Amino acid sequence: MSFIVRTVARTADGRDIVRPKSFDKAELSIGRSPSSDIHLPDLAVALNHAVIRTVAGGDVEIAATAGMPFVVDGKSTEHQRFSASPGANIRIGSHSLSVEPGDGAEKGSVVITVERVGAISNASEEKEEAKVFSLGAVLPGKRAMAWAGVFLVLAIFLAWPLASIYTQPTDATRKVAFHADELWTSGKLSQVHKSLENNCQACHVKAGEAVRDTACAACHTKVHDHADPAKLLAAKGSLGIVGGTKAAVGSLFGIQPGRCVECHTEHQGTTAMPVTDERFCTNCHTDMSKRVETALKDADDFGSGHPQFEPTIRFAGPNGLPAFRRVSLDANPKEDNGLKFPHDLHLSTTNGVAQMAKTLGKADGYGAPLDCANCHTRDATGTTFVSVKMEPACGACHSLAFDQVGGTIRTLRHGDPAQVVADIRAFYRAGAPRSAALQGMDRRRPGDFATAGQRTNFAQTSAMHIGNADQAIRAVFSKGGACFDCHTVRSTGNPTTPFAVAPVVLSKRYMMKGWFDHAAHDTESCASCHGVKGSKLAADVNLPKLAKCQECHGGQDAHKAVPSACAMCHDYHRTEFAPLMVRDHRTRGKAGEHIREKSLQEAGAGI
Amino acid sequence: MASKSLRQATTGRERASEHEGFLRYQSFKWLKIALLISAVALLVYAFNDVQPRPNGGSIYGYVTGTIGVLLILWLTMLGLRKRAITAGRWSLKSWTSAHVYLGLSLIVIATLHTGFDFGWNVHTLAYALMMLVIGSGVFGIAAYAMLPQALSANRGETTQIQMLDNLRMIDRQLNEAAQPLDADGAAMVRMSLDDDPFGGGLIARVTGRYGKCGTRAALAAVRAHHIRVEGEADPYDHVEVLLERKRSSLSRIRKHLRFKALLEVWLYIHVPLTFALIAALFVHIVSVFYYW
Repeated sequence: MSFIVRTVARTADGRDIVRPKSFDKAELSIGRSPSSDIHLPDLAVALNHAVIRTVAGGDVEIAATAGMPFVVDGKSTEHQRFSASPGANIRIGSHSLSVEPGDGAEKGSVVITVERVGAISNASEEKEEAKVFSLGAVLPGKRAMAWAGVFLVLAIFLAWPLASIYTQPTDATRKVAFHADELWTSGKLSQVHKSLENNCQACHVKAGEAVRDTACAACHTKVHDHADPAKLLAAKGSLGIVGGTKAAVGSLFGIQPGRCVECHTEHQGTTAMPVTDERFCTNCHTDMSKRVETALKDADDFGSGHPQFEPTIRFAGPNGLPAFRRVSLDANPKEDNGLKFPHDLHLSTTNGVAQMAKTLGKADGYGAPLDCANCHTRDATGTTFVSVKMEPACGACHSLAFDQVGGTIRTLRHGDPAQVVADIRAFYRAGAPRSAALQGMDRRRPGDFATAGQRTNFAQTSAMHIGNADQAIRAVFSKGGACFDCHTVRSTGNPTTPFAVAPVVLSKRYMMKGWFDHAAHDTESCASCHGVKGSKLAADVNLPKLAKCQECHGGQDAHKAVPSACAMCHDYHRTEFAPLMVRDHRTRGKAGEHIREKSLQEAGAGI
Repeated sequence: MASKSLRQATTGRERASEHEGFLRYQSFKWLKIALLISAVALLVYAFNDVQPRPNGGSIYGYVTGTIGVLLILWLTMLGLRKRAITAGRWSLKSWTSAHVYLGLSLIVIATLHTGFDFGWNVHTLAYALMMLVIGSGVFGIAAYAMLPQALSANRGETTQIQMLDNLRMIDRQLNEAAQPLDADGAAMVRMSLDDDPFGGGLIARVTGRYGKCGTRAALAAVRAHHIRVEGEADPYDHVEVLLERKRSSLSRIRKHLRFKALLEVWLYIHVPLTFALIAALFVHIVSVFYYW
């Protein structure tokens, strides 16, 4: 058996040159060493890599000599025996040795065709210049990346939210968790609507339809309109180019003007519902009387366009029945409250009243000339004052005492003329006057009675310690008598109850259309707003006029101590609660939450 | 002679050229237009009192939004337009100039469209993508303005093919020279031969640092392994010289690759993100009207 080795070389122009060489021996050495029978100038090949020999039975055997493997028909090995026919393909390094049986003249020999199949180096491999020199070799294609980006964005931000919208329930069974359509939010909801954060469709009911009032009214069942909607629209007047365009475009999409969301803008972050901007009011109320028929005065910025205050005043109407009417403070209205009370006399620092108050002493809350707080006390909220009660406020000085039994002082029944008459008659029937201390017109000195509060004005009830019962009754109800001094008394002609007292009704609240918080004005003294020092009559309406307020308050953007938007005193949706701005200013934390909750319940929010 | 001096004037490195690049095209015509648009947008924004605060849903928001989206679509059209080079008023150069400056004016238009109302949502995603696209474009302009000279200086007069052929020639010589070496020596040389001169990935391309360079490793190994014996002909000497030559050749190629990478890399952000941006814009528009 002999070998024929055909070495194939490739020329630069791609032609193959085959150099055959015959070996008449049974074993050939293969290696990089120039002395090898089959010389492979390949650095991946050991100097003496392997031997190939013929063995009995027409087989061929190849064995490694340097412990380095080679590949026979795709299998890495260090020793392989195979039949010369059909032969095998051996790969050593970058060289291929294909072993075949010779045919024709070469019959009986084993033909080994040696050919370099791998490039000398990586750089020598075929390279596409445009590709390897550009970034395209190391990055995925731009087109592929573009498609991937488009797909990713559409999948996450369009398909996922849409899937969520069409698969998730919107009723109570909806999970309080992230829903994919939240990816579309344009900002956090306000604090009060926080619970709706996961439920876009609570407000955005129908796809492509701007939020309707019906969505709001689904929860806020009791919020009423500010006024007749048609009138509201008319009051707005011309919208101008911008507003008009907006309305026209909006109407194309079925967006009605005057929607809740026009004022109550959402998705502005987790904040409290913002206080209504002044312009939302002045848009309509400026020169409103020119556009709609209304009893309301035109109103503008508080600093420049607010009408004079018009408190609700009580009048004596026809037939002596009380009537109420709003009168401008500019008209210096007098109210009919049925009382005689000169503020000036009581607030003097020098007169008898002042001296009396000083004598009463600190223990009873006096000890100095009278001030407002001696009679007027705040209510629990601090917003306003409780009604002045006769007994604690007036009674300290204006005593109704007329008799003393043992250590107990007997007083006339305040507020009940018939009882007064009856008590006096009973007193005389029992043989009055009996106490030396209560005799006649004797001058009483402080300290005569057990309680300081009842001693001082005894002189007035003591008028009845003269003559008989009828004389005493007349004296009490007439000028100089205990009742007459403070009350309007008329005679009835009825001998049983000969006198009647006009009922006293003190106004609890003058400003029915607005809101005033006394507590917010604690930094001021009473007299800085209420000019009562010079008030001689109880009928005086001692409310400060607009100009007084404007000393500190200006419009929303005024450079005044207290810039005041309309919402500081007025509410758009009026309830029995103070305007939102006042509430937010006054109450924080738990108390604020409580009030908010109550007011929302009132508005039918179903909390 | 006149023609010769003219040619010299235009072939020198300092081009006293009548060439007008897309940046200074028609004495910055598009820059002026873009500045004007931006100034108008800013001015209107400043005097436009949107309540409760500026947002994309105001009239101003709708106008800037519409302008923005049309502009983005038009800017994207450059990809189509650039494939047809024409001259004249609407030349490709004019388009490119407009693309750059109007694209920059989007920073103002789109930012004012947002009313600075940002959040973790698809709307801000679209804005962020747009800013990334613009940012990558700015990088591209900077690269185009600064790198070609360096690229050209590095390349000298050789072409890329010549660079590669030079490398292949050194490899052949290395292969020849290493034939007498034993298995260890051959393995060292193969570290260099088997190493892909274009391998190394994006970071290597952009930084020019090839940490796993086979040639450098081979050179270090040959130097460490080889103890020189005076007066003897040593095949390692030749191998070392060739490896040194290959390293120098590689360093030039890699510098070239780095400049090319910097000239190209921004497009791999600019183009794909543009399409992601258009998708995000589409979702942005759909979603704001879906949940009106």
